[in-house]
Amino acid sequence: MSLSTLTKPWEAMSYGFLDGSAKRELRRKMLKSVAVPGCQMPYASREVPMARGWGTGGLQVSLTLVNPQTRVKVIDQGADDSVNAASIRRFIARVAGTPTTMDTLDADLIQSRHRIPEEILREDQVLVLQVPNPEPLRPVQPNTSIARQMHADADYGRMWLQLYEQIVRSGRVMQGASYPSLVHGRHVMTPSPIPRWDVPKLHMAKHLTILSAGREKRIFAVPPYTRVEPLVFSDVPYKVEEHGALTCTRSGTTGFFMNEIPQDDGSSAFEVSDSEWGVKTIRARDGEGESRGETWYKDGEMPQ
Amino acid sequence: MLATPAPGLAETRDNAVFDALLWTLSRPGLPRGLPEPGEGSIISALLDRECLVYAADPLLMPEIMRTGAEMADIDKADHVFLGAMATFDTLADIAIGSDYYPDDGATVIIRASIGSGVALRLTGPGVDGAVTIRLDGLPDGFWKVRAARLRYPMGFDLFFVDGARVVGVPRSTTVEEI
Repeated sequence: MSLSTLTKPWEAMSYGFLDGSAKRELRRKMLKSVAVPGCQMPYASREVPMARGWGTGGLQVSLTLVNPQTRVKVIDQGADDSVNAASIRRFIARVAGTPTTMDTLDADLIQSRHRIPEEILREDQVLVLQVPNPEPLRPVQPNTSIARQMHADADYGRMWLQLYEQIVRSGRVMQGASYPSLVHGRHVMTPSPIPRWDVPKLHMAKHLTILSAGREKRIFAVPPYTRVEPLVFSDVPYKVEEHGALTCTRSGTTGFFMNEIPQDDGSSAFEVSDSEWGVKTIRARDGEGESRGETWYKDGEMPQ
Repeated sequence: MLATPAPGLAETRDNAVFDALLWTLSRPGLPRGLPEPGEGSIISALLDRECLVYAADPLLMPEIMRTGAEMADIDKADHVFLGAMATFDTLADIAIGSDYYPDDGATVIIRASIGSGVALRLTGPGVDGAVTIRLDGLPDGFWKVRAARLRYPMGFDLFFVDGARVVGVPRSTTVEEI
């Protein structure tokens, strides 16, 4: 063994910004999180040049997965062009030399904050979700150690109690985003703050989803073809947002998750949240060719 | 303005190895190609000085030592290289983690031949319905011992390496011999 076999040539920056040991740790933890779907695995969460809470967890997963052939799409609340999405996309391209895209169908890796695209993801695509709070039990048990014990015991009774109290107080489940869901019949996870509209897209999906919380230093995953069932009572069915009949004022598309835009007269206008879907709809309307893929929701309904 | 770093040979290989491992573990029973045959590339993609490793095959030791990983007894190791298995005795000692920390369950890498031998029917997360795969070179009773040791979410995750092909069987997968 000589010194030269133990070292490597100097470089200004590691490929993909993260150093080798950070990547190897993430690799080991990603494998474990796939092996136990929905179970939160602790990991080190290295520093990246971005504030914790702005997608550092997702960014670290993306930086570990990419190579110069990986086509990357980044979305923030459905939009490709918001500041957070544009910055992360540019950062990944700069440190990893990856091609980027806005088209869901073109992407190999999609890093997302708060939305799952409307077009069905394929087997060869990976969805990376940024997670601010990975612990579904936090509202009912702020002590992390006790929450870990509850996960170990599959002791989720208080989750239902919480839903029951919401129904008693308000007449309906008030949980708008990050709806607690049972993965593979064992672990309850919080599926990142995606709206209720997006949770059924994770159930028995074709693609791999990796959820990573950088600030909280935990990673979990939903492998393809895995059951993801929102917690519900048998007599109170799961309801998604009533966006099925809404029409986007800019693109004219109907039946997808919308952003509500308050108007001066007190009414609301709606704009499709998946910005690239809106762009594709406008292109098709203007006769620039059909580029839209198949969507999870059809006519505003998720087929059973 | 910094130039975009280019991936070196080792980085490219480790990335491709991990891509194969992640793919096959999230789709149990579907083999993927490794960039080079044998366990060597897996060792360099996953292991470093934070790992405790057990290797039944002494020929793997130099490569493992080079990563800085520490050798450990099989019940302490987080990565277990069993080589070509003669008996299933070693399965009894592999770490399965705890209900608190299922991630302490070991990653087990075994040499086997994919595509011949006993037919196995896999079901569980990652499998669309059911998938059938043939694996040869494992001791009789291997799958019974595995099933007896798993206490989901506790358990260990298996990778079978056949030359430059790898197939994953995570602890969440139910395996039936047919």
